[in-house]
Amino acid sequence: MAAFDAAGVKLYTLTYDEIDALADYSSAMGVTFTMLSDPNSEVIREFGILNTLIPPDEHPWYGIPFPGAYAIDADGNVVAKFFDRNFGARFGSEQLLAAALGRRFEVEPAPSLAEEVSVDVRLDADRLLSGVLHEIVATFRVPEGQHLYGEPVPDGLVAATIEVDDAPGIVSRTLVAPPTSRLTLAGSGDTLEVYEGDVVLRLPIAQNGRAMQKADDGKRHVDIGGRVRWQACDDVECGLPRSQSFEFRVEAGFPVLPDMGPGVGRVPEMNGAAHFRKMIDRRK
Amino acid sequence: MDIKVDTRGREAGPPGYFDDADGFLMPLAPNTRSRRIPLGDFPTGPEVGTRLPDVIAVDQHGRSVDLHADRGGQPAVLVFSRSAVW
Repeated sequence: MAAFDAAGVKLYTLTYDEIDALADYSSAMGVTFTMLSDPNSEVIREFGILNTLIPPDEHPWYGIPFPGAYAIDADGNVVAKFFDRNFGARFGSEQLLAAALGRRFEVEPAPSLAEEVSVDVRLDADRLLSGVLHEIVATFRVPEGQHLYGEPVPDGLVAATIEVDDAPGIVSRTLVAPPTSRLTLAGSGDTLEVYEGDVVLRLPIAQNGRAMQKADDGKRHVDIGGRVRWQACDDVECGLPRSQSFEFRVEAGFPVLPDMGPGVGRVPEMNGAAHFRKMIDRRK
Repeated sequence: MDIKVDTRGREAGPPGYFDDADGFLMPLAPNTRSRRIPLGDFPTGPEVGTRLPDVIAVDQHGRSVDLHADRGGQPAVLVFSRSAVW
């Protein structure tokens, strides 16, 4: 929260909780941001993000949104939004703050006189907490006169992509790629989707807790391996398909979640059980 | 939008716990209670590049907040989540 204040970015949360539940939570946790109450899910419905997979008579679950976040600029326009189909995975506060400031993790491509495509692959974080999405960022430097392809590609050509090795603890999402333009080849008449110039691909990934390994010093880490694939062509001919492997070992852990239940030694206390009962009763 | 529910998952870990298709372990079977998550597309509200709709709601201190007025020309982040109670 200090980072948000220092950057001049306001933070709001909105849930379907009653005001008194938010008040208890806020004082128990020492919350300094604004928690908005939408007990009849009116704002949630207006945004069109009510979780309609939950039947209306199933209390108290009905009324929650598909969880996500919007980053807005000083003019009030949405500059980025962060939704994932699984509430187990979400982007973290650092990424939300960066988005509101119009920043993204970027790598300056190294100047190169090479006639071949070069690629720099990074993870946008040096720590992965379980369930918190980050991005593998592949920055391709493409020499003038050449281009890379996006999906879909005809048989025999390779679209630029990031692949993560199948591992039980690593969750990867859909590749985020810039727009392509259409190129029709003079010879074959094939229509291709082509990136202009240098290309940055982003693959959202998270770890689900299963991939963590503990070293002798007690520190946890995860290993993420994979490769980027691409094929560079000019307007006449294509080079061979290429790939480059990557292997990241990063610090890992569990996010610190508040314990809201009652009981001796379980702090902070925010009357969770009482609020839960009230929630059900109100909706019956 | 036709939203499909993700029913994939299996019992794993301690009794009563289930893995979903992404391997997240929770004491809740897939497609029950709050663990009804979409498979494929689902609505995510206002698009990037559009103005965030007006949000007027009461905050934890009982104060009525108009988000756009309250942020006073600052950038902001608005998080929609399930509940502060559970």
